[in-house]
Amino acid sequence: MEYLSLLMFLTVCLVLLLGYPVAYSLAGTALIFAGVGALFGVFDTSYLQAVPSRLFGIISNQTLIAVPLFVFMGVMLEKSRVAENLLVAMGQVFGRLQSGLAVSVVLVGMLLAASTGIVGATVVTMGLLSLPTMLKQGYSPSFASGAICATGTLGQIIPPSIALVLLGDVLSSSFQQAQLNMGIFSPRSVSVGDLFVGALVPGMLLVGMYLVYVLIFASRQIDQSVNQNISDKPISSIGLFSALFPPLMLIFIVLGSILAGFATPTEAAGVGAAGSIVLALLNKQLALQKLKDVMMSTTKVTSMVFLILIGASIFSLVFRGFGGEELIAELFASLPGGVFSAVLLVMAVIFLLGFILDFIEITFVVVPLVAPVLLAMGVDPIWLGIMIAVNLQTSFLTPPFGFALFYLRGVAPPEVSTSDIYRGVIPFIVIQLTLLVCLAVWPNLVTWLPSLL
Amino acid sequence: MRQISSRFSLQWIDSLNYSLCKLVSWFTLFMVLLTFLIVVLRYGFNMGWIAMQESVMYFHGMVFLVGAAHTLRVNEHVRVDIFYRGFTPEKQAKVDIFGSLFLLMPVNLFIFFISFDYVMLAWKILEDSQEAGGIPAVFLLKSLILVFAFTMVLQGIAEVIRNILKLSQQKHITEEITE
Repeated sequence: MEYLSLLMFLTVCLVLLLGYPVAYSLAGTALIFAGVGALFGVFDTSYLQAVPSRLFGIISNQTLIAVPLFVFMGVMLEKSRVAENLLVAMGQVFGRLQSGLAVSVVLVGMLLAASTGIVGATVVTMGLLSLPTMLKQGYSPSFASGAICATGTLGQIIPPSIALVLLGDVLSSSFQQAQLNMGIFSPRSVSVGDLFVGALVPGMLLVGMYLVYVLIFASRQIDQSVNQNISDKPISSIGLFSALFPPLMLIFIVLGSILAGFATPTEAAGVGAAGSIVLALLNKQLALQKLKDVMMSTTKVTSMVFLILIGASIFSLVFRGFGGEELIAELFASLPGGVFSAVLLVMAVIFLLGFILDFIEITFVVVPLVAPVLLAMGVDPIWLGIMIAVNLQTSFLTPPFGFALFYLRGVAPPEVSTSDIYRGVIPFIVIQLTLLVCLAVWPNLVTWLPSLL
Repeated sequence: MRQISSRFSLQWIDSLNYSLCKLVSWFTLFMVLLTFLIVVLRYGFNMGWIAMQESVMYFHGMVFLVGAAHTLRVNEHVRVDIFYRGFTPEKQAKVDIFGSLFLLMPVNLFIFFISFDYVMLAWKILEDSQEAGGIPAVFLLKSLILVFAFTMVLQGIAEVIRNILKLSQQKHITEEITE
């Protein structure tokens, strides 16, 4: 009867492919299984009695309050053109270098990732703003689109990212559970802040590797015959300062207060969101209608995220009711190679699921099922979190199903073919896989910084 | 006649959930300002009230529990659209009718009925905050679960009507063409 949980998982994957909203595909399929299981006496309905308190747990979860606040900040920065000005200004700073525009795309991608943390928004903004400019400067379509997709996905890993907030919350309860199962009754804890700190070195390493690649190959990718140097405009240093300084300051305040331990991620998110309102005002971009747009989009994105959380929690209750957790634990225990092959298996499954599911769904559905087992085997929670984040980031970049590719395809001009985009991201996928292997070989890259604080 | 009344209830549900969503969207701004104020008061003036912190949680709960229905209306709940994107409009409408009837409705009716006693218990004792100085209205916060399930059921009905209308219009058009 434990195999029913496996059957349910496979059925859910099929139902998801129909295309009905994910939250209800998860919860609906699970309830149908629970109902049929209860009829045949193989499902204990008392598991479902926990649903109301689970739902209330979601409402009263303090960490997750950071989500709408970060979303508000990201949407505000995007709609008030702060992001756009940043990109233009960076382009001017580096415009004189041969590979200057590509370098500035990577750097702005990093800053946007740190400030908005929304992959879709970053890829779309950069695709709209810098892809036409890069093409005009003679960059090959594949190189330009690869650089934009790859830097757009940095929003997963560079803190403060919404993805890490969600992952941190799930991992902290998994970690508690794993320790309780092992009979440790004064469990250590892991927080969203720990995950942010842990992501810092790998994130910077990734940006560094992107930059090295771009510096080496950009000049070979530029077709000199169409190279019109468009950034010969004199740079006004005041304009530059006003475009660069405020967003940098905002990122510094938000990240700094979390990393220094002054503020919780939720508090820092509130300060960041308030700061984004100030920046929008300074940019003279805050009419009432725009404010209403920002509030409405924040509401819709927040509802979307939390509805998935609701659906996933019903799903995982039923999965547990069918004994799915024991099944996973047995499976991992029976694998030859112990912890290493268990982690490898989980990473492979998450990579594949990343083709059809978004970060949020994987974090809420898959991570709670596998993380307690892995953590009980002695895996470091921060390391596991960062591995999952980098892994998913790679998955979102991988043709033919990567999310980032779809977003860019949506805004790319017709002269950029889909196969250009596919070819362009391959070097970046190689870079990311290299990072993943490095993190697996040297876990200290992740755990060193958190251990200092 | 039946079409007119179904159109009427469709519009009624849509506009109800839209107004609710517009209302709670202001709460995102309140959350930002309140959180900022909390940080300033705590770190600047060493002041803080539990009730103020909890009010952010109340606004947060209202935002996503009440905003979810209109988000469904404007199709912003994530789908796995690898195949769905390529479907014809009729096939998409059929998927949505199927999903509304067999996934969305049962889930929300289930949430409503299983949470009913839980919420009623909170009302019976007028459940207070667990923290001293917290907002004494946990029973109201818990009631949001029922509001959520109810508005989602309504929106689910609206989606079924909308997609059936879509299908019947499509049928008319194809009939006209073949005639």
